[in-house]
Amino acid sequence: MTIKVSKKSYLFGRGWQRWTPLFLLLPGFGLYLVMAVGPSVATAVYSFTDATGIKGAPVNWIGFDNYDEFLFRGLASRDNIAALQRTLIFSVLVTTIQFGLGLLLALLLNQKLKGRTFFRTLFFMPVILGVAIQGLMWKLLLLPNGGPIAEMFGWFGVRSEFLGGQPKEAFLWVIVVQIWANVGITMVIFLAGMQTIPEDLYEAASIDGADGWNLFKSITWPQLTPAINTNFLLNIIGSLQAWQLFLVLTGYKNGTQVLGYLVFAEGFGQTSGSFTTAFRQGFAAAASIVLFFLVLVLGLAANRLVNRRERKYLG
Amino acid sequence: MSTPIIPSADLRSPDLGSARSITSTTRRTKLGSYVILLTFAVVYMGPLFVLLTVSMKSLPEFFKNPLGLPAGLNFENFVDAWKLANFPTYMLNSAIYASVATAIFVATSILVAFPIARGYFKGSKGMLTLYVVALFLPPALIPQFQLILNLGMYNTRPGYILLFLVNPIGMIILVNYIKSIPRELDESAAVDGCGYFRFVFRVILPLIRPAVATVTVLHAIGIWNELILPTIYLTNDNYYPITRGLIVFEGVYGSNWPALSAAVLMLMIPMLILYMFLQRYIISGLTAGSVKG
Repeated sequence: MTIKVSKKSYLFGRGWQRWTPLFLLLPGFGLYLVMAVGPSVATAVYSFTDATGIKGAPVNWIGFDNYDEFLFRGLASRDNIAALQRTLIFSVLVTTIQFGLGLLLALLLNQKLKGRTFFRTLFFMPVILGVAIQGLMWKLLLLPNGGPIAEMFGWFGVRSEFLGGQPKEAFLWVIVVQIWANVGITMVIFLAGMQTIPEDLYEAASIDGADGWNLFKSITWPQLTPAINTNFLLNIIGSLQAWQLFLVLTGYKNGTQVLGYLVFAEGFGQTSGSFTTAFRQGFAAAASIVLFFLVLVLGLAANRLVNRRERKYLG
Repeated sequence: MSTPIIPSADLRSPDLGSARSITSTTRRTKLGSYVILLTFAVVYMGPLFVLLTVSMKSLPEFFKNPLGLPAGLNFENFVDAWKLANFPTYMLNSAIYASVATAIFVATSILVAFPIARGYFKGSKGMLTLYVVALFLPPALIPQFQLILNLGMYNTRPGYILLFLVNPIGMIILVNYIKSIPRELDESAAVDGCGYFRFVFRVILPLIRPAVATVTVLHAIGIWNELILPTIYLTNDNYYPITRGLIVFEGVYGSNWPALSAAVLMLMIPMLILYMFLQRYIISGLTAGSVKG
């Protein structure tokens, strides 16, 4: 990539003044290279080293050792594989449920209903609150003693420890909170898509006697293709990388970890940023490259699916 | 991989779909819709209601009657939490991080976005691609930490701010918006002898205000809500932003749910008020920002 001020299009001054935009662009672009692109690419490099979190400590090249250890060595690797599978389960459940609920809410709220704006605003609200508040809110709701959900379960004679109990159950509750927190985004993207569908399509079809399900199947669903694709990809990629609610809701609890949390825990210690020698940053980098490949493979597969659909519906 | 298309989204956008609704929505489906929507509304309002009631109870009252209404309006927990949680410091920190980093990010980004959108460089297409590709690159977490650590900026305010000076999604929003501003403007300004810097900030900036507002909101909310980076980079609790402070408060007062609820509410209320006023920008910003997941 050669960066050069082109002579034809640039109008503001000549001679050395041509360099003004390039000069002014440097701070922003430089920061981007140094703080984002560089580190991103360097993750791959670090994954082949035994880097720690200690300033000035020697860093040695150890080849594929981190990957070997992460995927194949001993009991720990079995936990890592389990975390990988859990990441997939999390992603599949979150993607499908969030996609379905988001579509349902958008369909309902695309009708002319009283209080429509209120409902839309309400369902989007958790998105602005961030994981700390989302998580603490649900911790309160899920208190085993005296929490409102425990109380409701009590009406049916069910007792549960929720987040503090069986890992499987805690894991399911995190999925619930994840969807609760993010379905608003999916809904808004669907709504934006629905508002671009031309009215006359529905009118013409109604005259032909189509109704309800038929209208949805033959008009809404194909016409909604761009929004469907966006949501599908966003949900898959987002849910594969999501782990922050686990930090707030369950902490580093055995049997609930997903890959993203594993990276954090290995790289920066398990509970806090306290400065210890236990930081295995090379190893964490390898784990994050594994996650990256998972996102890449599934993202590309989803993208293929989406493109095929697009060709089918939009030609 | 093609970039996902982010439609501009606005909850109050004109209702293009209403005509068909009038014709085809029967009374029964309307009723059904309301039943479903109200059920969801309970799931979304319920947590707020529980927080509110719990925050007004004393601790013994909470243990005796966790779910009922509080005995009266009692704001002691708010006062306690405000003092115990060191809220003023944390809030000030969050405000500093969000405003300084966002200001620097927006100012530098406009100067990157404008020439890229105009194609003033031979490599400007490639540069834009570099921003799009970033959405799919591996996370920068670990090398970034090594960088900050070796710069000697670990556990410092400037080091923490340094982490928030870039945002590829924000850049893409700006570039796309600037493309919609007619080029003729550049020509006439240049003919009139307007300098480049002045042109960008005096002419272009006012014209791209909606995009700037969206990007500002997206970036500032991201910083305000960030929980992981302060956990990694800040160990001195004088530097903690409010999110980290809240989690620490939970660690210490974890069983004092009334105080914790009050703390959570105090953090939420400014956000909710902001949300009411800046809804349009917040929603389009955060919807675009969701690409990051």
